[in-house]
Amino acid sequence: MMPTLAALAFISPWWLLALAALPILYWLLRVTPPAPRLTRFPAIRLLFALKPKEETPAQTPWWLLVLRLLIATLIILALAHPLLNPGTRLERPGPLMLVIDDGWTSARNWTARQNTLASLLDRAERDQRAVMLLTTAPQLGGEPPRTSRLMRAADARSAAAAIEPKPWPVDRNAAREALGSAEITDDANVVYLADGLDDGRLRPLIEGLQRVGPVDVVREDAGELPRLLLPPAAEAAGLAITATRFAAGPPVVSSLRALADDGRLLGREELRWPENGREAKARVELPIELRNRLARLEIEGEASAGAVVLLDERWRRRPVGLVAAGSLEKRQPLLADIFYLERALTPFVDLRFGAVAELLQRGLAVLVLADIGRLSDAEYAAIDPWVRKGGVLVRFAGPRSAQGTDDLVPVPLRTGGDRAYGGAMSWEQPVALQPFEPNSLFAGLTVPEDVRVSRQILAEPSLDLSQRTWARLADGTPLVTADRRGDGWLVMMHTTANPEWSSLPLSGLFVEMLRRLVGLSQGVAGDPSEAVLPPFAALDGFGRLQAPPPAAVGIEGARLAETPVGPRHPPGYYGSETTRRTLNLSAALLGPQAPLPKPIAELPSGVVESYYLGAREFDFKPWLLAAALALGLIDLVIALALRGIIGRLASRSATAALALMLAFGAPGAAPAQQTPLGQAAAAQDDDTARASTLTTRFAFVRTNSAEIDDITAAGLTGLGQVLSKRTTIDPAPPVGVDVEHDELAFYPLLYWPVLPDAPRPSAGALARVAQFLRQGGMIVFDTRDAGGAGSATQAGARLREILRPLNLPALTPIPADHVLTKSFYLLSDFPGRWAGAPVWVEQADDRINDGVSSVIIGAHDWVAAWANDGGGKPVFAAVPGGEAQREMAVRFGVNLVMYALTGNYKADQVHVEAILERLRR
Amino acid sequence: MATFRPSESGERQRQRAESLASRFPPLLVAAERVAATIIQGVHGRRRVGQGETFWQFRRYEPGDSVDQIDWRQSAKSDRVFVRETEWEAAQTVWLWRDASPSMRYRSSRSLPEKSERADLLAMALTVLLVRGGEHVALLGSGHPPMTGRGAIARIAEIICRPVADGDASSLPPEAPLPRYAQTVLIGDFFSPLEEIAATVRGIAARGVKGHLLQVMDPAEETLPFSGRTRFEGLEREGDALIPRVESVRRDYGDVLAGHLAGLADIARAVGWKYLAHRTDKPPQAALLTLYMALADERRWK
Repeated sequence: MMPTLAALAFISPWWLLALAALPILYWLLRVTPPAPRLTRFPAIRLLFALKPKEETPAQTPWWLLVLRLLIATLIILALAHPLLNPGTRLERPGPLMLVIDDGWTSARNWTARQNTLASLLDRAERDQRAVMLLTTAPQLGGEPPRTSRLMRAADARSAAAAIEPKPWPVDRNAAREALGSAEITDDANVVYLADGLDDGRLRPLIEGLQRVGPVDVVREDAGELPRLLLPPAAEAAGLAITATRFAAGPPVVSSLRALADDGRLLGREELRWPENGREAKARVELPIELRNRLARLEIEGEASAGAVVLLDERWRRRPVGLVAAGSLEKRQPLLADIFYLERALTPFVDLRFGAVAELLQRGLAVLVLADIGRLSDAEYAAIDPWVRKGGVLVRFAGPRSAQGTDDLVPVPLRTGGDRAYGGAMSWEQPVALQPFEPNSLFAGLTVPEDVRVSRQILAEPSLDLSQRTWARLADGTPLVTADRRGDGWLVMMHTTANPEWSSLPLSGLFVEMLRRLVGLSQGVAGDPSEAVLPPFAALDGFGRLQAPPPAAVGIEGARLAETPVGPRHPPGYYGSETTRRTLNLSAALLGPQAPLPKPIAELPSGVVESYYLGAREFDFKPWLLAAALALGLIDLVIALALRGIIGRLASRSATAALALMLAFGAPGAAPAQQTPLGQAAAAQDDDTARASTLTTRFAFVRTNSAEIDDITAAGLTGLGQVLSKRTTIDPAPPVGVDVEHDELAFYPLLYWPVLPDAPRPSAGALARVAQFLRQGGMIVFDTRDAGGAGSATQAGARLREILRPLNLPALTPIPADHVLTKSFYLLSDFPGRWAGAPVWVEQADDRINDGVSSVIIGAHDWVAAWANDGGGKPVFAAVPGGEAQREMAVRFGVNLVMYALTGNYKADQVHVEAILERLRR
Repeated sequence: MATFRPSESGERQRQRAESLASRFPPLLVAAERVAATIIQGVHGRRRVGQGETFWQFRRYEPGDSVDQIDWRQSAKSDRVFVRETEWEAAQTVWLWRDASPSMRYRSSRSLPEKSERADLLAMALTVLLVRGGEHVALLGSGHPPMTGRGAIARIAEIICRPVADGDASSLPPEAPLPRYAQTVLIGDFFSPLEEIAATVRGIAARGVKGHLLQVMDPAEETLPFSGRTRFEGLEREGDALIPRVESVRRDYGDVLAGHLAGLADIARAVGWKYLAHRTDKPPQAALLTLYMALADERRWK
């Protein structure tokens, strides 16, 4: 459909012929020797002695040739002046007349229209044409379409920017009449930005335009035509939505949005136009509370007044109360009054049953009394004020009513019985209904042929009886009478709500009538009075609610349905904030106005037709020239570099400039280079992390002595063997870490042998250690000198240096009831290879780390006691206690690991007795 | 002399030279005939004179200072002996390196300039010689031979002193060198062979022994250029346009080989040594070659 080939056009295509000269240029470039490279050379005297043998010039490098040919090509292309999405042709040299459809149908594709308009104005400005604008929809102020004066393209641009789609249809007849007064020269061009729809008046308008000049019609593709959302119909469970499109075509799926007054989205339904179908159906089903808030339906993504339906009270459910006399209902439902009412009302109202007082307490729109003759005084006292305040009371006659009623009836009823038509003993036949009179509430409903009324209660004749009558039987007797009582209505159905007296309840008419009666209950809706509803808010062409335009005037409530939409009556809300009624564009279009327009089928001969393109015209020329210039600069730099001049003059700055140029040319290239190394490092980190976290692993800090490291590794391995044997912990071999570089977070326990000559950790490393401790890590510092950390040994001094920046709580020798003494074994002292020195922990403080000490500081060289030679034989003697002391050392190791892994879990056991005591009690 | 302060670049040059020289033993110049100077040195003149090494005892003669009497020797006999030491003199090495613009060349950023390498070698040689107790002078600088740590600093300062383009010639200047001195000439020696020969002969005629160290950039040997190239001299010798450098590379190699052979011939003719060094080779190699050429082999044995 889209003329894709036409998307690119050349203004001066003959320049493209110059491309044929490129091979010649290529040959010339090859033949001309490149400028010699300048090289400084100390041994030049030796070169003087040389006689050059061949004078064949060296060849220009091929990539330089390509670059220069590219520059030439770019310049030729730029001279040919290519345009993307070029506008329509403008044949004649004179002014440009732009005719724009700005009805609601144009809103959907307004951006493309604006782009086309802007492109056309660009061209008019290039060609220095005068421009005249004509919009075809009636203007906001209500004036018919008018041509503008001839103006410069720049002025026309601002005038065109001010054009907005109107929320009413175009008036092409008026536009054609406006042409008569247009002052425009003979050599004008006409471009008609049409909406793609033909309402039957398109041809006369175009023929009128053709008298001005050759006409180009830019129109919508059939798939781009606007769609119309019709007013919904209330159904049993919700609203039945119909949307129509102007042209059948391929299947389209869109969405329908149901919005509340405040713009909240209440529901979204799929609208699916079938293949070659024009109508899409959907159903909005919402809970009553949400449905009552429903204010607006719209087709998603279609910003046009036609795709919006505003909802007023008519679509909202209103509560209807049903009151019936007697107990017959339960036993014989098909004869019950309520059964038919219920079936008829349920789809579109909120039905409630019960006693009168109870119903009125909850608030009702309509109260239906099925054959209740005389209300009790209490009921009367409740109903009467409610009706006066706007309630609608609908009463059905019946055997009981025939015995006489109270005065809550529109007309006095003839007491003493009902009138029967037909029957075994009568010549008379049941009577049909008359068509409804125009002033009746039911006006417009068709009366089925087969509805017959066999019994009714008659009204007392009176002067105003006929005015109060909404429906009559064929013999003229009233079937439905109504009267105002205060703000409310009294409606009397002179027959029963069940088929006993008539077949009306069995017919569809019954449902329609009830629906109108319920609709009556909105107070203003059914007000047939001449009250004028002022415009409250109006839709603009894009379907946005705005303040009504100044030209908008009020509408008589009764005439709202047949009011045509136009500048005087824009679609929107009429009435007041509380009681507002809607005038919908789609309803008005389907109503008494002209039939719906059709897609443009055929245009008068001589008209050139094109479609809107989404994109604005794009001129390649400046870009091509800029590219050629940039490449030319690069070529210059290369040429200088080849001659060696850059290297001599300012190699640094020139290289920097070149680098800058390249960096601008390829900004993405730089970061790519640093990835491989980083990836390798990251992969390695991942492997370490995986190895360290998949199993429990203890770590020790590597010292500057390989021997000590071996002992520590052996000790932790030995402890691991003991743990596997005696406990459920099965640790993996220990890991040596470097606090300066390695991640510590994976290890629950870090064993840190402190050597007197250990290099002091850097500030960064200490910060990481502090972080490790804060996150719950535990470190065992071991000065290995049996002196105790508080002592003045060198290792002790070094340890203090390490600990100082860590900001530890106060330390204390392990108290007798510390968890370390009972986390697995019961211990009283904590020997290692040595014994006797105190072992320090943090003073217990429950607020920090659950009271678990994050450091354990000792000098017993525990790892030496734990270490074995791989075959289970100890490596170092335990002094002075021998093997007994070694066992204690191992037990301390087990306790230590338990402490590191379980924290203060075992601390609770001190209270075990107390807990048991409490449980027993 | 109190105001003398080594410039910064001189200091740096000196440090590099000392680190380069630190791998070599002190250099004692092999001197067959030491210049007849009165400077105290390490080269025994096999004559009685000032020195520290014992040379001979001789009978006391009237007029000898009593201080000279060796009492221990005299006590062995009835005579009185005077102890005499050998006359030990220092050898002076006159260094010269080409500071002309043509030395300020390097074919690649990764290489040092030729002058840089020549300066470095001259400095390193200075350091070695001074450590060996020899005396060093820069030919053409106008300064007398010096020794000791101060000499290193002074020479470093002189070497690094910027040279005006016009002042520096590609060949050593005429200078009154003492007989039997030694000289080391460092340069690229791309001057015409006749000029070089004349200069060398002029120096050698004074009985001065010398060494030619030719410092070359690798590009000067391989001519690694291509295409149409205009070559320009660094000393306003003019330019030469070579349409295709590739095609003359072989010829250039021949011409260069002829030039180098000519240099070697010139050196041989006067009994000098000709050494070659390329800037892409480590300076240690060149220094070692120089060391071997200068050193007194007999002392090692």
